Amino acid sequence: MSSFLSQLHFQLSCALQQRIEICKLRQGEHLILGFSIGGGIDQDPGQNPFSEDKSDKGIYVTRVTPGGPAEVAGLMMGDKVMQVNGWDMTMVTHDQARKRLTKKNEDIVRLLVTRKSLEQAVRHSMM
Amino acid sequence: MSSTLYVLMPFSTRMRKAQYTEQSPSNQTSLAMMQEPQEMVEETVTIEEDPGTPTSHVSVVTSDDGTTRRTETKVTKMVKTVTTRTVRQVPLGPDGLPLPEGSSPLGSYTDSIDRRYLKNGERYITTPQATSTLTRSYNNYNDSYTDTLPPDAGGSHYGGRHYGLHDGYGIGDVTDNYGSLSRGVNFRPPRYPYAMANSYRTENSYGTLPIRKDDYGHVAQPQVPMGSSSVDLNRSQPERFQPEPYGLEDDRRSLGPEEEEPYDLDPDYSTASRRQGTLPGTNRGRTVREPLRDGPRVRGYDDPIEAELVDERHPYIHGMYAAPLAQPERGSMASLDRLAGRRSPSIDSIRKDPRWRDPDLQEVIAMLGHPIDPVKSNAAAYLQHLCYENDKIKKDVRQLKGIPVLAGLLDHPKAEVHRKACGALRNISYGKDHDNKVAIKNCDGIPALIRLLRKTNDMEVRELITGTLWNLSSYEPLKMVIINHGLQTMTNEVIIPHSGWEHEPNEDSKPRDAEWTTVFKNTSGCLRNVSSDGAEARRRLRECEGLVDALLHALQSAVGKKDMDNKSVENCVCIMRNLSYHVHKEIPGAEKFTDPSVLQAPGSVGPQRKKKDDAGCFGGKKAKEEWFNQGRKNGENAKSYDTLDLPKRTEPTKGFELLYQPEVVRLYLSLLTESQNYNTLEAAAGALQNLSAGQWTWSNYIRATVRKEKGLPILVELLRSDADKVVRAVAIALRNLSIDRRNKDLIGSYAMRDLVSNLPSGQQRPAKNLEEDTVVAILNTIHEIVTDSSENARSLIQAQAIEKLVAINKTSQSPRENKAASHVLQTVWSYKDLRNALTKEGWNKSHFQSTASGAPKAAKNGKPGYDDTTLPLMEKNQGQSVTAGETGDPPGLAYCGELNGYSTIDQRDKDCKYKSSGDGSVDLTDREPLKNETNTKHYVRSNRPAVNLVDACDVKPQPVDSWV
Repeated sequence: MSSFLSQLHFQLSCALQQRIEICKLRQGEHLILGFSIGGGIDQDPGQNPFSEDKSDKGIYVTRVTPGGPAEVAGLMMGDKVMQVNGWDMTMVTHDQARKRLTKKNEDIVRLLVTRKSLEQAVRHSMM
Repeated sequence: MSSTLYVLMPFSTRMRKAQYTEQSPSNQTSLAMMQEPQEMVEETVTIEEDPGTPTSHVSVVTSDDGTTRRTETKVTKMVKTVTTRTVRQVPLGPDGLPLPEGSSPLGSYTDSIDRRYLKNGERYITTPQATSTLTRSYNNYNDSYTDTLPPDAGGSHYGGRHYGLHDGYGIGDVTDNYGSLSRGVNFRPPRYPYAMANSYRTENSYGTLPIRKDDYGHVAQPQVPMGSSSVDLNRSQPERFQPEPYGLEDDRRSLGPEEEEPYDLDPDYSTASRRQGTLPGTNRGRTVREPLRDGPRVRGYDDPIEAELVDERHPYIHGMYAAPLAQPERGSMASLDRLAGRRSPSIDSIRKDPRWRDPDLQEVIAMLGHPIDPVKSNAAAYLQHLCYENDKIKKDVRQLKGIPVLAGLLDHPKAEVHRKACGALRNISYGKDHDNKVAIKNCDGIPALIRLLRKTNDMEVRELITGTLWNLSSYEPLKMVIINHGLQTMTNEVIIPHSGWEHEPNEDSKPRDAEWTTVFKNTSGCLRNVSSDGAEARRRLRECEGLVDALLHALQSAVGKKDMDNKSVENCVCIMRNLSYHVHKEIPGAEKFTDPSVLQAPGSVGPQRKKKDDAGCFGGKKAKEEWFNQGRKNGENAKSYDTLDLPKRTEPTKGFELLYQPEVVRLYLSLLTESQNYNTLEAAAGALQNLSAGQWTWSNYIRATVRKEKGLPILVELLRSDADKVVRAVAIALRNLSIDRRNKDLIGSYAMRDLVSNLPSGQQRPAKNLEEDTVVAILNTIHEIVTDSSENARSLIQAQAIEKLVAINKTSQSPRENKAASHVLQTVWSYKDLRNALTKEGWNKSHFQSTASGAPKAAKNGKPGYDDTTLPLMEKNQGQSVTAGETGDPPGLAYCGELNGYSTIDQRDKDCKYKSSGDGSVDLTDREPLKNETNTKHYVRSNRPAVNLVDACDVKPQPVDSWV
């Protein structure tokens, strides 16, 4: 049992910091990731429905386009974006995050995200 | 003018040099001499008389104008060039005379002395060379003259040498020159221009003047002898002086006259001919000069001289040789120069000297076509100077057809030339005389300016160009022309680069800040003016690629740096305000947003929305609504707005879409909070007013966003501004904002007192004494607020407004005020539940009836008090017009950026202020209460708004959600 738990923990920590690689979809001139973000240090964290800590000013995934690149890559609504291509996203403005994600010269975006929902699910299952 | 003359001199000198050079290869000796003279010059500086002194020159220049200075410097450069040419020509006229090489001396000069001086140096050099021949005789002179001349031995040397030069001149040089000149003249009439050029140069360097003087002074003496004849050299020095004057005159001419010729500058007069005459006459001229030296003498001559001068012009025309008579005068002129030069006199003093004749306008204009570039540029610079603050001259220039010539020079390859031409055009284009502006347009000056703007990197030239365009843009009929020719260029060349905005921002680096350069200020001023030219102009500006983006970036940069009081910011905000006008009607696809259903289902409109829907789903909707609705429990109506979900964008907004994005609200509110510039405040309030007008999706967003961004208290506080136009713009903005029901409630609760306090009470106007337009605007706002809200009507009564309204209704001299007040009163009376309270305060129905004009109507209706129907109808009409008008007409910003080349900055500002007409939606030109135009608020804003208009539920900014 303990081994199972430790294994679960391991998986969980992996899940908490998940790497997701999204290949942008080209639509005409535009490169599309297929999700939307909310949050940022210039936004009101209290209105973020996804954060547990209502002072968390991080960037969250608010919506994911069905069938879009982000969904295909496994990104989920409510994910908190920790990094984009290695750039920290926990202390950036909303616009900075957006720009970081939408660089036109990058076809691939590597995200480091945490997924609280998953954490909770795991925790629930453990309890 | 005098300056012009001087300029000419140098030129001639050069010519001589060149000639000399060729003729007689420079002798080392001659060089040495040359150098010496230079030194002499410097020493001379100490002495008043020595014109050569660089110092004196400099000072002179300074006294005049910065412009003048420049000219000098430039001129010097030019001289070099010219010299080269001359040399080529020179070969033709060989002389046995041993003349030092002009070029070599120059070179030495250059090294040791400033370029400016170079010219002088050249002259000197020339003189010295010539002098070498004569020197001896001179020495004698010097002795005799010593008193007159500066004590410096150097001076004497100088004199001697110069004289020598002159002599040489007179003897060999003159001949040579003569020959060359005559050729030039004969062969190509155009060449005479050279003479002009010379004179020109002289002019350029006011500083030069002193030098000349030196030359003259020194030269004159020697020259006299020389001039009288080569033989004369031998003459007794003293004698020469007196008698010689005339004989010398000729020399004078060559030296002085040419310079003086500035008048001659007239092409028509064929300077060449003069020259010829002059050259030959050189001797005479010199003679004359001598007299000049003796201060007293010269003056004595003044009157006659003048007369002669006047005649001279024509004489020249008649024949070169006729000159002799004139020569004396010239000589005198030269002497004058000297005199002036002694103290490094200011140009003015020189000008005042009656003996000097400035070239007349026609002559100056003719010089613009002179083949020699320095002449052109100096003529243009002089025109600029003449035109400064002189409408008469501007008109004369126009009538003499000078403007097309100036415009033509804009394409001149030489920076000096197009710069000066542009400077002249800038001054000419400034002022109320629109004919000047039209004249510039009619000769295709606008495209030429734009071409130059594209071509040049010279910041000064760019300032001149954009300043001229700013001036031109103040005249309505030219606005579209400027847009057609220059909009994209101005945007690409100035607005975008200076705004710091980048098409493809490098996200790894900080966004660049705007640079508040003069060029940016001028260009934004020009665009500000043209942006008020109606719907088509607005469309063009909105669709101009990068313009709106760059302006917004600049403003954001200003807010970020807390640097919001400058003129550039004011211009930018005004452009934004104008472009926001009628945006809900004029942008492509606007109708899609206008659907009334928008109010209920705002998201259903527009293509963007569709995209969003496509992407939305997947349970995202719930989260989204959560996201947006969290913490929001507004009143009934608020719901419709608060659930408004801004259209989602898959790409960053750009171009004119930026104008009405709710994000701009924060920008305008920042400006309204921080700026001390009344015009900026008014424009920012006007922008909100424009954006919140109309019934389309975006205005709904804007109205709600203003509330959520806590903008209402900011606006209400500005009702206390001392600036009439600010109060008016804010009042109208509040009216538009109150289309939003929630806003109406808040404004009614918290803004009523401030609105009412701006109303005049009875005959005695409040301290502010607001204009009629403002009072009417406030009344209309109050009307809007109390309409459909008995609660707000109650607030109005509590604010003690009825007394004021009745007073206005009864006693105001303004029918518009009467009418507006009457509407408010009728609306108030229409709330039956309030009548009791009103009656208790002693009011009765009659007080709420419209007076005079209104009375009959009420009578017709029978039940004035009941006029609910009637009145509301009227109101509605008014309301509609209001809604439409709410937007506030795009202010006609007749801001002339008047840039007078010679004007000091202060003057410029003064001019601007003077000229500036209100940029408010209404023409505020004369009504501006803030005559001081300081744009500084006199009242201190309390940091915490006394009014608490913040909608508690809306305190939090709406979360932003971006698709990526």
